[in-house]
Amino acid sequence: MSYLVRRLWQFVPTLAGVILLVFFLFNWVGGDPAYMLAGKIASPEAIENIRRQIGVDQPYWVQLWIFVKQVATADFGASWSTNERVSQIFATRLGPSLTVLIPLLLASTLLSLAVAMLVAYYRGSLTDRAAMIGCTVGQSISILVYILVFQYVLGYQLAWFPVQGWGSTLGENLTRYAVLPIVVGVVVSLAPDIRLYRTFFLDEIGQDYVRTARAKGLGEGRVLWLHVLRNAAIPVATNVLIQLPGLLAGAFLIERFFSIPGIGREVILAVERSDFPVIKAVTVYVAIATMVMNLTADLLYRALDPRVQLK
Amino acid sequence: MSLWLLAWQRFLRDRVGIASAIVVVVFIAIAAASAAGWVARDWGKEVGVSYAPPRFVKPNPAEQKAGLAGPSDVSRNDYGIRDPLAPELAEIRAGLAGASPTEKRATSLAFGADKWGRDVLQKAVKGTETSLVVGLASAALAAFLGTLFGAFAGYRGGWVDDFFNWLYSVFTAIPYLLLVLAIAAVLGQKGVSTVILILGLTGWTGIFRLVRAEYLKHKVREYVLAADSIGASDARRMFAHILPNVSHVVLVQLSLHVVLFIKSEVILSFLGFGVGIDTVSWGSMLAEAPSELILGMWWQITAATIAMALAVTAFSLFTDSVRDALDPRLE
Amino acid sequence: MMVSIRELRVGFGPVEAVKGVTFDIPEHATVALVGESGSGKSVSALSIMRLLPPNARAGGRVLYRGMDLLTASKKQMRNLRGSEISMVFQEPMSSLNPVFSVGFQVAEALREHRGLARRAARERTLELLQEVGLADPAAKLGRYPFQLSGGEQQRAMIAMAIACEPQLLIADEPTSALDVTVQKQILELLAELKRRRRMSMLFITHDLSLAGSIADEVVVMRAGEIREQGSAKQVFAAPRDDYTRMLLDLRPRLDRPRRPRKRRDDEILLEARGLRKRFDGVEAVKGASFRVLKGKTLGLVGESGSGKTTLGLLVARLHEASGGELRLQGEDAFRVPRLAFKRRLQVVFQNPYASLNPRFSIGQTLTEPMRIHGLGGGEAERRGLAIELLAKVGLTADALFKYPHEFSGGQRQRIAIARALTLRPDLLVCDEAVSALDVSIQAQLLNLLQDLQDEYAMSYLFISHDLAVVKYMADEVMVMKDGEIVEMAGADEIYAEPKHPYTRALLASIPR
Repeated sequence: MSYLVRRLWQFVPTLAGVILLVFFLFNWVGGDPAYMLAGKIASPEAIENIRRQIGVDQPYWVQLWIFVKQVATADFGASWSTNERVSQIFATRLGPSLTVLIPLLLASTLLSLAVAMLVAYYRGSLTDRAAMIGCTVGQSISILVYILVFQYVLGYQLAWFPVQGWGSTLGENLTRYAVLPIVVGVVVSLAPDIRLYRTFFLDEIGQDYVRTARAKGLGEGRVLWLHVLRNAAIPVATNVLIQLPGLLAGAFLIERFFSIPGIGREVILAVERSDFPVIKAVTVYVAIATMVMNLTADLLYRALDPRVQLK
Repeated sequence: MSLWLLAWQRFLRDRVGIASAIVVVVFIAIAAASAAGWVARDWGKEVGVSYAPPRFVKPNPAEQKAGLAGPSDVSRNDYGIRDPLAPELAEIRAGLAGASPTEKRATSLAFGADKWGRDVLQKAVKGTETSLVVGLASAALAAFLGTLFGAFAGYRGGWVDDFFNWLYSVFTAIPYLLLVLAIAAVLGQKGVSTVILILGLTGWTGIFRLVRAEYLKHKVREYVLAADSIGASDARRMFAHILPNVSHVVLVQLSLHVVLFIKSEVILSFLGFGVGIDTVSWGSMLAEAPSELILGMWWQITAATIAMALAVTAFSLFTDSVRDALDPRLE
Repeated sequence: MMVSIRELRVGFGPVEAVKGVTFDIPEHATVALVGESGSGKSVSALSIMRLLPPNARAGGRVLYRGMDLLTASKKQMRNLRGSEISMVFQEPMSSLNPVFSVGFQVAEALREHRGLARRAARERTLELLQEVGLADPAAKLGRYPFQLSGGEQQRAMIAMAIACEPQLLIADEPTSALDVTVQKQILELLAELKRRRRMSMLFITHDLSLAGSIADEVVVMRAGEIREQGSAKQVFAAPRDDYTRMLLDLRPRLDRPRRPRKRRDDEILLEARGLRKRFDGVEAVKGASFRVLKGKTLGLVGESGSGKTTLGLLVARLHEASGGELRLQGEDAFRVPRLAFKRRLQVVFQNPYASLNPRFSIGQTLTEPMRIHGLGGGEAERRGLAIELLAKVGLTADALFKYPHEFSGGQRQRIAIARALTLRPDLLVCDEAVSALDVSIQAQLLNLLQDLQDEYAMSYLFISHDLAVVKYMADEVMVMKDGEIVEMAGADEIYAEPKHPYTRALLASIPR
């Protein structure tokens, strides 16, 4: 319990650092976007007006204080482009993002685990090497190409799935609109995941306790799927948890091109339109999510691995 | 015979390693030649008809007739609708550009042409230069920062370690691409040097963590204690003793980051935040792809993908071989 | 004959680890397989269970009650392993699965081979844990391996191995990773179990004395071949092979006389009073007081965790002391400027594979101290000095341009000694300097150290867990346990008449 409290306390300096970094980037370096927002032809009064509205006419420390308050109250104001309240944006966009992300994570983890285990067991064989080269080549193709090609072939040419768009009910989304994005996401994450998990498995298979298990007369199946997997599950689980916040923002390419109204797509739109409040809010939220996920990963690690003593 | 020499010998026995090394060298040579202006200098010139097909594809007469003629017939836009003012505008434009409106344009190029008739092959070559320059330079920057920070944090411990760990946690709290995009959004300006700075200043975290872990591990090794016992100073221990034992990790990380940064640059340029419009990148080539694919023009996306796949695969395989040569594990 | 091994050959890639080995394991007998590292003894044992790594090639025959194990089906092997033939390994900590409880792992053998239901297995496991002498077995059932001490882990492994009443128990260096006092207990346990259950045992070890004390038959291996085999009595009384003879001779025995010392003066070189060291709330050294005489050797004996290495590093100022006083020839050693101190006190570390920087050539390693302290006029002169030192430790000049990985463990230790000598120190701290080496090499290095001591008139603080070695080297000996010095006396006295109970326990656990 005290461990938990101590870790939560450690959030504070990191969050402070993130706030400072975001502030530095957007309020100092990014400075004065009033010209951009005012439009091509604007009078000096209009520009001043905008400056006052978005608050850049204040001295820096006042701006920082405003930002800190925003973070504390989770109210970042309104989007500069759509005028929608940022918190509202988040509330409505989270759902679609998760509808794609969770099945994606489950499918890709299970699939890559199975392949990685097989490949690690037959290490050095032709299957292993072919799979590894396949993964290397697969990783060298940009995610953009996967999206474009899958959209073109499966969506446009064969018309198995809609090229883009989003439905109104969960069921409809899962069976029609989310399928193609999930497939693309799984394909893209297979290669790096297989390579990573293969390393985890290889590390475990080479350990002494595997030799002992065999010396006890246990069958290969039990040795691999119980003894090895249980040990490898530790780095795998923590890896999945840590990836999650990154995926949230990183699926933005998929969301953008499949027109899924999720958080990632909002981020890209905001970046394209220099919509600072949205970008700032996303950055801070995702940072918090990352810290929470890291803490959860540590706790999970403790639950899975009895050797870990939390100090 | 030093360990480096042994590693070199091991590397020479790895056929995949040698093959990928050759490909990497070829790519670097292409990039250098492009940078020097020896090849692909005129990539921006519109030397072909719009969407000219590659030479290795049999020309489809039906397609050619159906509105894909060169700029001499700009009267028809993509939907086949006639634009009454188009010929006049074309003349004005051509006059401004100094090119004769009736200049001859190729009907097919080595790997085809894009919408404006620019040679796809030349664009791919120029894109190689962009990607490799960005990849290598930002990887070097990230490796330098990561190693320096990691060495101090790992060796010194105490508040130095605390400070760098705090910096690390701040930078890694924000997912990589999001951070890069945020910075790109703020800076607004594009260009190769901007991209290099962005990628390098955000990408040091992975190397930092590894180098720090290595320094923590080596700090208590007996050869470092032995160096202490003969009187070596802290600086000497950090850089003369430990660093050579850590450099093989850094080298592998450097290579891995080159791949990562090439891929990041492509995404950035695709979204319009990378290189400017006066430079071409595989990313900007891919950006033109969606509209091209619908019309059935596949050669630009193919060229960009093949170029990128070859380069990244070669680099990845090269990295694997280097890693195996430097730190062989028992079979 | 229970097991008959005929012309066993095992190879890995181009290397032949076992080159045609033939011996028998009779019913109800203990056979000891003795050899140094690289002799092929472990590989031979693993062949019986067919637990070799996938890239191994095995030839010959391994007959178990008439069945050739090398050609048996996988299913047959699986049935045999753990139920008729069992194995206990050297490192119990890594040989047990860290994420399953001890009770689960022992019960697993029972459920696999005897088909016991969960509750029956649990009860049987409890009985087994009791039989192997684990204290409070009910509590240990649910504990994880890392929560047990080394000795307890090994007992658990043994319980796992005997669970299904095997006919043959293979023990691969089961006690080498344990403390000396615990070793004795485990050996007694194994002997008792073998007798009570009427098993045969194949006991693998590098320690010939140990083999002699427990085995009926002894097989001596070297470089993949058998050099000698026969009954234990016969091998020890009348060895036929040179190698066996050398092994017998080289055991540092407690009754061997020491070399006469050349120096007679009793000047105090180093004096410590109340030295303390605290790490994170743990007192590793709790007030140590002792003195080292000029030209003499002070031996420091203790098991792992006793704090002896920490004490050595404290003296060398590689750790900062938490309290206490240290005087070097009267001066306050903690106040002497760093470089000046290093010239008077040097260290030779335990692990020859870790104490030389793998990226430095030997020449660089040897000339570095000279460069730091400004010895030798130029590079050429320094090289010359380095070559002299190499000669003193028995190595040739071409070593200058080679790298550590090109040398054996014993040679690397010589280089480490040469490095320590570059500054001509008054005191050399030898921290388990020969413990990681094979017996035959140990003797050479100990003699080298003594020669150098005579020539350079150095004092030694000689730290080791091996009592026989310490007795051979030291003039005075102190015994350390749990951070405290429990006894200190002249070498002969302490071995003849130990006063402290711990000292007595240590001496008693040495196999004769």
